[in-house]
Amino acid sequence: MKKVTAFFVLIFFASVAFSSGLSPIDSLKGPIDEGLSLLKDPKNKDSSQRKLQRAKMWEIIRKAFDFSELSGRALAVNWKKFTPQQRKEFSEVFSEVLGNTYLDKIQSEYKDEKVKYLDQELISDNKAVVKTKIIRENEEVLVNYSMTLKENEWKVYDVKIEGVSLVQNYRSQFNEILSKETPDELIKRLNKKLKEQEKG
Amino acid sequence: MNKLPAIIVSIMLIFSAGYLFAYDPVVQTSRNYEFGTAILIASETGNSDHEFTEDEPDFLKEEIKCEEILTISDPLYYWNLSIFHLNDKIYFWLLKPVAQAYRVVTPTIVRTGVANFFYNIKMPVRFVNCILQGRILIAGHELVGFIINSTLGVLGLDDAADNYTWLKKGDEDLGRTFASYGIGDGIYLVWPFFGPSTLKDTIGMVGDRFLNPLSYIEPVELSLGVTGYEAINKTSFRIGDYEAFKKASLEPYEGLKNAYIQNRRKNIQGSPLNVLSDCFLK
Repeated sequence: MKKVTAFFVLIFFASVAFSSGLSPIDSLKGPIDEGLSLLKDPKNKDSSQRKLQRAKMWEIIRKAFDFSELSGRALAVNWKKFTPQQRKEFSEVFSEVLGNTYLDKIQSEYKDEKVKYLDQELISDNKAVVKTKIIRENEEVLVNYSMTLKENEWKVYDVKIEGVSLVQNYRSQFNEILSKETPDELIKRLNKKLKEQEKG
Repeated sequence: MNKLPAIIVSIMLIFSAGYLFAYDPVVQTSRNYEFGTAILIASETGNSDHEFTEDEPDFLKEEIKCEEILTISDPLYYWNLSIFHLNDKIYFWLLKPVAQAYRVVTPTIVRTGVANFFYNIKMPVRFVNCILQGRILIAGHELVGFIINSTLGVLGLDDAADNYTWLKKGDEDLGRTFASYGIGDGIYLVWPFFGPSTLKDTIGMVGDRFLNPLSYIEPVELSLGVTGYEAINKTSFRIGDYEAFKKASLEPYEGLKNAYIQNRRKNIQGSPLNVLSDCFLK
């Protein structure tokens, strides 16, 4: 009898644990819709609001992405050449560069694009792909988000635009650089890029 | 339609040409595999002075597995690099200013109509390649879509078939058909105006010209002009994309090469590459 009770207790807890987290698609929908409503908000069209809008969008992105996993994957084999300290620095500056680039583009060129959520696919207990479509002026762009479950939250670690993975694209570039330069030099280059971006 | 025999003959020619330079796909794949495993082994055993953590995260193995399929040989690197720089100039000095001016004077509805027209008229390319890949049902969809767009859509200016959501688009070309037969990329090539390509895709591109009704326009100058106009119209929707890509990249040449290869490997039907490639299908 005890065993049976224990079994039910376990099932109960398991189901609670399972249901407390959002599904991958919902974890993505939240931040994207939040971001879109920020972009659409007419008061944000005013240039004085830009900085604030950007800060808010950064906050959303930080919550939705797992940048440490994303940068680890972008380094792949090269990851081992980095000290834990270098990995941290790299992840920080790389995520800033990425965020800046895409926020710049989105902020300056948003033309009422819409996002359609197509499908989610569970690959394993802690991996999933959410398939979306961005509807632009004259074309549809397929965007797939690779997500990982960490501490009961689904976070994005890679974005694939029309089959092109961001992580793999950067890795090809990092491979090229790291075949000639040291990890510190790569971090330096990223910092330089960041400064260029901030200057405009 | 008196060009039909010519088209069929050229398809057969291209077919056999494709097989000529095809190296055995099985050998090709296993070679890649060995290469990948070599990286894995090297990363697991070698470089021990550089290792800072024992618990290697799972993602490393996963990413390395994906990477091996994306490598392409680039023996013409310096040549390709100079064409890459040339194309960069062509974009900023020629294509972009023209497309920008065109965009200002041409309403979106017209530009969209033009894009639809070009898409519709190139149906034979997609149709034949769907057939060559054994995707008969999708080929049928292409044909139905073409008929709807050419009639209800007034010569294809309106994408009327888009209202029939069950109609699937078969976005196929000869390069992808070759890939579905397991034919390897050959080497990486960058062409002036056309941009990144591979040996396989270059042959595919030439073959597809025979299936493209626009290449039968005479005189040749007019045919080229129409192709140029298509490029300008297309660019008018994408101003800012290349700039953003360049801004985001540390090594734009490597980045563009990798993006091209990744995009071309997307969802290739029946390719032996697919066996290994769950990483970039998803």
